Amino acid sequence: MSEFKELVKSFAKSREYVRDFFVYGFKTREDFNRKSTRTYDNERRRIECWLQGFVKQDYTKKGKNISLAIDSNLLDTNPLFRVWKTKSFTDNDLILHFTLLDYLAQNPCCSAEMLTDALNLKYNLLFDVQTVRRKCNAYVKEGIFIKTKQGKEIKYSAAKDFTPLFHRYPAFRQAITFYQLAEPLGIIGNTIMDNFSMDNFSFRVKHSFFVHTLEDEVLLELLHAMHSKESISLELCSTKNQNKSTRTCIPLQIFTSTRTGRRFLCAYQPKSKRFNCIRIDSIKNVTPLPPDSQENKDFSRLWDEHQSNLIKNHPYIWGVSFQNTDKTHLQHVKLTLRIREPEEHYIMERLIREGKDGIITCIAPNTYTYEKDIFDANEMLPWLRTFIGRIVNFTCSSPVVERRFFQDLQKMYDMYDIKNAFRD
Amino acid sequence: MGYYYIACLFVIGMDINMNLFSETYNCYYQIMKEILKDKSSFTLDELRTKISCHGFEESLLYIIPKLSSGEWSLLKKNGELYCTKLSGSFYVPLTTLQKSYLKTILQDKKMQLFLDEPSITNLTTMLKDVPTLWDNDTFYYYDRYSDGDDFTAPAYKKHFRMLLAAIEQKRFVDIDYTSPSRNRVHHHYLPCRLEYSIKNNKFRLLAKTLPLHKGGLETLNLERMTKVEFLDQFAENTVDLNQLIRSSYYKEPVCLHIYNERNALERTMLHFANYEKNTTKIGDNLYECLIYYNKMMETELLIEVLSFGPMLKVLGSEHFLKQIKGRLYRQNRLECLPNHT
Repeated sequence: MSEFKELVKSFAKSREYVRDFFVYGFKTREDFNRKSTRTYDNERRRIECWLQGFVKQDYTKKGKNISLAIDSNLLDTNPLFRVWKTKSFTDNDLILHFTLLDYLAQNPCCSAEMLTDALNLKYNLLFDVQTVRRKCNAYVKEGIFIKTKQGKEIKYSAAKDFTPLFHRYPAFRQAITFYQLAEPLGIIGNTIMDNFSMDNFSFRVKHSFFVHTLEDEVLLELLHAMHSKESISLELCSTKNQNKSTRTCIPLQIFTSTRTGRRFLCAYQPKSKRFNCIRIDSIKNVTPLPPDSQENKDFSRLWDEHQSNLIKNHPYIWGVSFQNTDKTHLQHVKLTLRIREPEEHYIMERLIREGKDGIITCIAPNTYTYEKDIFDANEMLPWLRTFIGRIVNFTCSSPVVERRFFQDLQKMYDMYDIKNAFRD
Repeated sequence: MGYYYIACLFVIGMDINMNLFSETYNCYYQIMKEILKDKSSFTLDELRTKISCHGFEESLLYIIPKLSSGEWSLLKKNGELYCTKLSGSFYVPLTTLQKSYLKTILQDKKMQLFLDEPSITNLTTMLKDVPTLWDNDTFYYYDRYSDGDDFTAPAYKKHFRMLLAAIEQKRFVDIDYTSPSRNRVHHHYLPCRLEYSIKNNKFRLLAKTLPLHKGGLETLNLERMTKVEFLDQFAENTVDLNQLIRSSYYKEPVCLHIYNERNALERTMLHFANYEKNTTKIGDNLYECLIYYNKMMETELLIEVLSFGPMLKVLGSEHFLKQIKGRLYRQNRLECLPNHT
């Protein structure tokens, strides 16, 4: 039986467990049927270690229930960032990391041979030159070291120290403490905070959905492909039924919901000649097509054109859907609302700021219509329901959407017994 | 190819590793950095305290034997004391990924709240050798409100910087403010935090009203501030903001029943992920979710719950339930139901 360790080699397995604990928070040991109960116990213990202070235990009839109690209103950083700081390493990795940095801080520009000798003489450590060179080259790739060629010799130095820069621009430090919470890939900002012992005592972020940091590595790969205008092959696993599939596409934009934090890759799919949005948490692997392949060249040549077409489509997308079940190009939605002016002017303000440039018309005193053409009216239903209490009429060119709206409304009346609720 | 492959960029012919899951960012490395940069000598107990402070729950069990046995050979043992073998003057350089991130955030409009144009240009020039991670149009926030703040307005920038300074110095400020009902409000406040809403694309100030021992927490939109002035008065102690927020939560949470149709369970769990909540399975396809909230969040929570339609049923609190029923009752009275049902 192997010894339990807090650190892990690969993050993939733990990611699914953290996500389930965080998102659902009601699964017991028996509910996790993906792997053995021992795997569950180890993963649970690991999560309890990483996220101590945020793990809540409840006892139900079905057994112990572990959940993550994280209220983003009360936090200066995202506790789930910690899961990115759990990569395992060897003793030599750690020793070389600090001794090489220590030596190069005072003796820049050293060859692997010079560093190997110094480790022996100064720190009493025995390493072979190949090991030292391998570590140095890995750090060059990571950007921590700089490699220069002097004659035939390769020399290594530590990359520039940013401490003086942060002293010169203290507001830049403050900005990092803000951006780590407010913008994508905040985990990277958070590692910079670790590096320079920064803390956030000034900012809070509302509508920050912490769980999505778990997709950040996939996001980073997608951003890289977009930046290079490369086509990619995606390995997908449906979040609904766990079905696996692959897809080749041209990644164009990241669609993000500010209401749920959910992120989608918006891509052009050459096979179906359509734009499509794919949930990033369903993407398990991203592989760029070989840069020299004809397929990649053919797809990437048209990247700018697809991107420009996508931007032209923005006004007609309500959420992430580019098509509807009626197979019509656009669906027309008309909502008639009772808004008492001026005391309910805030409803008008909501229509303007949330309505994505829909046309608002006053048709009678205190009665307004809101109209919009969109690809998929079904996506609008949750937003339309937020006006319950003042909807005078709702029509949609799609009878299916219209029917669903009214059926749901009727169900809600029945659910709360509205006909009888205020009889007294 | 593994589950994740290492993203490699080829910039000026150089192979760059931009891997996020790297030991460089490892928590144990951070702990060791703290220990090794400090030239003082530590007892094992003091080392334990340092590790507990920066590490995970069981990090102690792994790190202490490595240090005391000399396996990591980075500390000298002198009697009962441990001291760094290193010079202590080393620094950990930023990785290319970190530098790329810095260059990327410098492009964002909100950066102008922190730095003036020449500083942004200088810093961007210093980072000229690294690529940015994304551009301003890479992310499309499809449901973001369209009336976000103008972060480039000179008065807005000035107020932002003054409030940020006041938070750091625990300094009182005098604020002139136009309320949503267009009334002029003029008060003295102790700024606690600047709160940014991703959905609204707006900053608000969370501030304590005076007197400090009695006053509550107020939220003021930065864009509505017409004047901010420093006062020559400083708070002695830090305000316990979380205590103030927690004590503002209603004692009774909202109790929801979730019917898991049309993927409602997952959607609900993600949608309400930014609230403190507790969920339990109570039937085959039925779940109970308790959500904690305060008066400030109430309207937003109410319309969020309504947006789920019949997938969610509110059972309590009585106060919240009454509001849901009230809206449905008003809707019913408008009698817009055609013959679709």
